[in-house]
Amino acid sequence: MRSFIRKLMWLAQRGHKEAEFREELQFHLDEEAEERREEGLAPEQARWAARRELGNVALLEENIRGVWIWTFWEQVIQDLRYALRMMRKNRVFTVLATLLLALGIGANTAIYSFMDALLIRSLPVSDPRSLAVLNWHLTGKKSVRDSVVQDVSGYFYDDPKTGKTTPIFPCPAFELLRKSSDMFSVLFAYHPAGKMTIMVRGQAEIVSGEYVSGDYFRGLGLAPAAGRLIIGDDDRVGGPAVVVLSYAFAQGRFSDPAAAAGQPVMINNIPFTVIGVAPRGFFGVDPSKAPDFYLPLHADLLLSSRTDPNFKPGEWYLNEHYYWIEMMGRLRTGVTMAQAQAAVGPVFEQWVATTATNDRERNNLPEFLLKEAAGGLDTLRREYSKPFDILLAMVGLILAIACANIANLLLARATARRRELAVRLSLGAGRWRVVRQLLAESLLLASVGGAAGILVAIWGIRFLTLLLAGGNDHFTLHAELNWHVLVAAAVLTMITGMLFGLAPALEATRVDVMPVLKEMTAGKRRPRVGLRFSLSRLLVVSQIAISLLLLVAAGLFVRTLSNLQSLEIGFHRENVLVFKLNARQAGHRDPEIISFYSDLQRRFAALPGVRSATLANSPLIGDGAWGWPVVPLGQPTPEHAPSGHGSGVADTATHVLATGPVFFTTMQIPLLAGREFDERDRQGSLPVAIVNQAWVKTNLEHRNPMGQHIVSYGPGLKPQEMEIIGVAKNARYDDLTGNFPAIVYMPFEQNLNVPVAEMTFFLRTSGDPLAYASMVREIVHQADARIPVTNLSTQAAQIDGEISQEILFARLCTGFAILALAIACVGLYGTMSYMVARRTGEIGIRMALGAQRGTVVWMVLREVLVLAALGLAISVPTALGTSKFVESFLFGIKPNDPTAVAVAVVTLLSAALLAGYFPAWKASRIDPMIALRHE
Amino acid sequence: MRPRPQPRVELLQGTLDLLILRTLLAGATHGHAIAKHIQRTSEELLQVETGSLYPALHRLEAKGWIEASWELSSKGKRAKFYRLTPLGRKQLTSEQSKWDAFSRAMGLILKPGKQEG
Repeated sequence: MRSFIRKLMWLAQRGHKEAEFREELQFHLDEEAEERREEGLAPEQARWAARRELGNVALLEENIRGVWIWTFWEQVIQDLRYALRMMRKNRVFTVLATLLLALGIGANTAIYSFMDALLIRSLPVSDPRSLAVLNWHLTGKKSVRDSVVQDVSGYFYDDPKTGKTTPIFPCPAFELLRKSSDMFSVLFAYHPAGKMTIMVRGQAEIVSGEYVSGDYFRGLGLAPAAGRLIIGDDDRVGGPAVVVLSYAFAQGRFSDPAAAAGQPVMINNIPFTVIGVAPRGFFGVDPSKAPDFYLPLHADLLLSSRTDPNFKPGEWYLNEHYYWIEMMGRLRTGVTMAQAQAAVGPVFEQWVATTATNDRERNNLPEFLLKEAAGGLDTLRREYSKPFDILLAMVGLILAIACANIANLLLARATARRRELAVRLSLGAGRWRVVRQLLAESLLLASVGGAAGILVAIWGIRFLTLLLAGGNDHFTLHAELNWHVLVAAAVLTMITGMLFGLAPALEATRVDVMPVLKEMTAGKRRPRVGLRFSLSRLLVVSQIAISLLLLVAAGLFVRTLSNLQSLEIGFHRENVLVFKLNARQAGHRDPEIISFYSDLQRRFAALPGVRSATLANSPLIGDGAWGWPVVPLGQPTPEHAPSGHGSGVADTATHVLATGPVFFTTMQIPLLAGREFDERDRQGSLPVAIVNQAWVKTNLEHRNPMGQHIVSYGPGLKPQEMEIIGVAKNARYDDLTGNFPAIVYMPFEQNLNVPVAEMTFFLRTSGDPLAYASMVREIVHQADARIPVTNLSTQAAQIDGEISQEILFARLCTGFAILALAIACVGLYGTMSYMVARRTGEIGIRMALGAQRGTVVWMVLREVLVLAALGLAISVPTALGTSKFVESFLFGIKPNDPTAVAVAVVTLLSAALLAGYFPAWKASRIDPMIALRHE
Repeated sequence: MRPRPQPRVELLQGTLDLLILRTLLAGATHGHAIAKHIQRTSEELLQVETGSLYPALHRLEAKGWIEASWELSSKGKRAKFYRLTPLGRKQLTSEQSKWDAFSRAMGLILKPGKQEG
């Protein structure tokens, strides 16, 4: 410590100190000379003798300085100054290398910042580490269909470790665990409220909400930004109609969040009071969502009772087979995750065993699973972590190619600097000293590249966020350059610098000083090229190998892209305007709501430029589907056919869509037989339905469907018999991929036991559909100002949105592969040019001895081909072995698609030959005379 | 060049510090005088290299065993004078006893007879 301060003080008064010890030495010299003079030497001789006796003054000064300061740092500064000079001297190289590094490091930093946002960030609540989220899972071959779960509202996911996993529980389980657990200090529950119409100060809009139990905010340890948060007493049957707004929502609607508390709002046309505002930055427990408001759990009695005609009050709070509620607990101090799992697991498992009613259910019992919740629910992680892993691997490979490239350029430059290095070494510089100096140059280069890379990363994050969000306002994955990302970028920069700098530095200093010095003066070229050259070849081979990997990936994604874009969807997607309206949330009720919608449909159809207009109770793509059993009359219903609305309707259920008139005309779905719904099919007339080919195939085999009677078993509804009046060609509904679903279309105006609530309108227009948006809003506003127009888009954009992630991913990978190929070609070109230059003499002799130009070109190209072949020999098996990692991102193509591999190989070989041809051509133009004189 | 009365003896590693401290016990003086004093007192057997003397002085100063100030030499020129600090005095005592022990040990081994008596 003392020495540290001393050294710092020295640095501060360095000039003064240096002058001092020079004076001290001068005094010594004078004294010594005087002494010699006294011994009888002439003054001049005496001075020289004294000087001789003193020895190497520079070394002495250096040694004294060494006492006071860090020689190491001094040298580092020296090295950096020198490196700066070198960088300025080789502008082209510096700019090129900086560009390569900036792209490589920037891309890596940008992708890493997304992964950081996904994996590392914690919930903005107090002590997030003690939070645990409750799950259950089915191991082995157990299936949810055979389990005690009869109805669900929520999601399941396949986890590679835990199998089919889900966070949803029946409400009695929540009550049980809340009472019996001494592991959790608080156990709270929540359930997405979905989209609701909220009217603030006379302005209606549709936003998403979350139902939360009374302990939710207490459990998370949050303090309100204004007013108060939901407490236990708010969450009960008959509790007050209160709502807590998110900070952003309150700020947007009331400008000052503090002003929001106490304000009245209408939610789905029911009056609520804002009691407070959640703290700034709080987004709930799921980073993939950001609810705009929070309601007490039991407020769903208030809201659902008005929207669901088949509502039985509170039934779902008591149902042991209805899985819907999600739970999180705060572990008591000192309780570990494993202890809580061991204590709470059996409680739940014993209870759930009592709910099983038969052996099938007893053999498929849920098993309790506690997971850490410091980062919130891992919905985002499941969705994005694999794509980002793959992207990170790709940009990592690109950085590796860039490193190999710069290393090669440095190698070539080091050869040009052989003489300089030899001089340094012969003057007594240690090899490590020179290596250090060369490393300082590469690290400085890397740092400049890294700094530029940060700029690239800032831009890259914005660009990627824009691409990933794809116009979605509720995109919640916010990446940023926080300190861990910056540290990671800095470390990456240093590693990069070492990677591309170390090998050339070691290689360049591995010189026998004498031959090099002699060779340079004598003009003979006999350097020790063997090892050095093989290193540069190795670098080219590895670049080719990596490029091939990326090219194969690009090939697979391009094929996926074209497969996705040429999907057969069964209807015409161009020139269709799509939007949603929810009249029920604005207070419309049966049966008036049906005529309200029909009336709107007629007014839209009458708009000039609208060729036809229709509506349905769900969009066709990207928003799930309705599904329940619909079977021919007299046929039993499938044993297990989960019913409801969601994505991925079970095979045993039928996709159901309630549509308005002229649906098939508007969507241009061809009818193979019969007619479509029209004015005749209204309430009270004979219930009718239209089925599609897939439904006929599964349910009727060879019978003629026309006139057949079928029965629909909607969830919680009484069975509804209908007559088939038409057969439609297969068309998409819900998923864009896979087999065409079996669909039964029903006329919504007949109100065949399908609740009429939110409706999606489809307008086939002439010209740009979005041009009609303002007219649509105007008509809706005139009809009922309380109803907002939502999800307004075109059908084509909706379909693109559905496959946007795949498209984006395919485009990014293709872009990266092209970048990698370009970098590798530059590297190959540089290496070959250098090789040709080195062999000028040899080529000259060959040509003087009668070699043809073609032979010379071939000689150089053969070299290129050998390198390329070596690269391919390494990477083709690697590509075949690793392509299965991207399998889940491919569509309509196998991971080891031979065409993709073949195209990649051919592309790479052509690019390599192209990169090698120019140097080869130059070699063949060598004038033998000049070449020989050059020697 | 001056005639050398006797062949020079190489300084043992680490002994220079001790010699400097011991020389300064007599009072403050400058580098040149320290070198001369060691040379003369050792009957010219020990020749202090300037190349090691000054780094050694600075090292001792950095350690805080000696301190320096600019004063006028006997000939009236400005010179850097070094003097022992209390810490240096303590160090000298301990170094000296270490050296005594060492030389006694060496003597015991190299000339066993003489030391017996």
